[in-house]
Amino acid sequence: MALAVARKDLRGELRGRELLPALAQFVVLALIIANFAFDLDLVSGPRLSPGILWLVLVFAGLVAFGRAFATEKESGSLEAMLLTPAGPASIFAGKALASAALLVACEAVLLPSMAVFLGSPISVAVVATVLLATGGMATLGCLFAALAAQTRARELLLPVLALPIWVPFVVVGGRAVQAAMTGQSLAALPLSGQPLVILADFDILFLVVASLAARFVLDD
Amino acid sequence: MADGLIQRFGALVALGPLDLELSKGERLAVLGGNGAGKTTLLRMLATVARPAAGRLEVLGLDAQRERELLRARLGHVGHQVGLYPALTALENLEFFATLHGLGRAESVAALALVGLSSLARRRVEQLSRGQQQRLALGRAVLHRPELLVLDEPDASLDCESRELLGQLFEGRTVVMATHDAQLARQVCDRALLLRTGRDAGDPWSSHMLHPAGMLGGT
Repeated sequence: MALAVARKDLRGELRGRELLPALAQFVVLALIIANFAFDLDLVSGPRLSPGILWLVLVFAGLVAFGRAFATEKESGSLEAMLLTPAGPASIFAGKALASAALLVACEAVLLPSMAVFLGSPISVAVVATVLLATGGMATLGCLFAALAAQTRARELLLPVLALPIWVPFVVVGGRAVQAAMTGQSLAALPLSGQPLVILADFDILFLVVASLAARFVLDD
Repeated sequence: MADGLIQRFGALVALGPLDLELSKGERLAVLGGNGAGKTTLLRMLATVARPAAGRLEVLGLDAQRERELLRARLGHVGHQVGLYPALTALENLEFFATLHGLGRAESVAALALVGLSSLARRRVEQLSRGQQQRLALGRAVLHRPELLVLDEPDASLDCESRELLGQLFEGRTVVMATHDAQLARQVCDRALLLRTGRDAGDPWSSHMLHPAGMLGGT
């Protein structure tokens, strides 16, 4: 059921091409602005890259997740879905999966662009960190997007709710990306402090919490 | 069966207290002016909204505690069509069929039932409002529900399409809100007139037969 919801969302996005081109454009523009605003050079570029990466990701995420439930709510299709035996948890999982896929597509533009504009070294560790953080951010982002969609001030409410809860991803992810970009091995860190393990733990924790909360957020 | 059903929005009592009984296979038209509480009643019957007070039993199931079981047995079309504009007519039905655990065959059959087979591959955004309404009706009957809860299903439908309603209603219990007293007469067995959220009686059994009487709700 969740896969059917995700497939439907992605098919609609690929046909409508509303969000992806805008997100890709946003990513490139944000990097160009950062380039001029920080007066980046070959030395400062890689050093500031982790911060720029997370700033762009967080704001791209707000745009991507903000629409996940708002359009469904406005068109009445969320109600139609909820009246099927699919269940709120499956619907939520499908929407989160599709939103995560959109953000991954955005990252596919962001990371190479960072290498080009900022000279950031992109390694497997950087990609793994960003992907793990995307999973958790999409789960929480969609949960709050579903909550915000029930209100009139949804555009304002989503950042207020999501940004503080995303801070752990930014802190841990930022540390991991910083280490990876400066050539440190993440595996050399003690297990309890390994950013990738912590991010995976966050993903599992928030996935369970969001699945349990989905029913109350979507259907009551 | 509704017993003392009430719906509130803040301090405003939008509906009730309302008592209502409907037999299996019966078709009820809910009439009333704007703001009379028709949509509010239908949303509760369809389990989309929870009542503020009172008891609601539909198809022998408690509409609050057994809503998942009930939902599998009812079809609903609300004010909005609730379709996906970028998907084709068939893709829309296939998606909802998947959520109901059904296959492509049921989607094709539902599409044929509402007379849209020739438009199966056309995107919903390219369909007229009336065609979208027919498609929404197709979605509502996709899983062969026992009960249909329809909020102004005649909106945007042409005369030919309105005949479709009669076909879809066959063998089903129906609750339908409408402003069209003539259509209600054609396809329903009895009517409930709502005025400011209260039961104002059966308009077909009294002086209220005149359409102006039915529509002068609020």
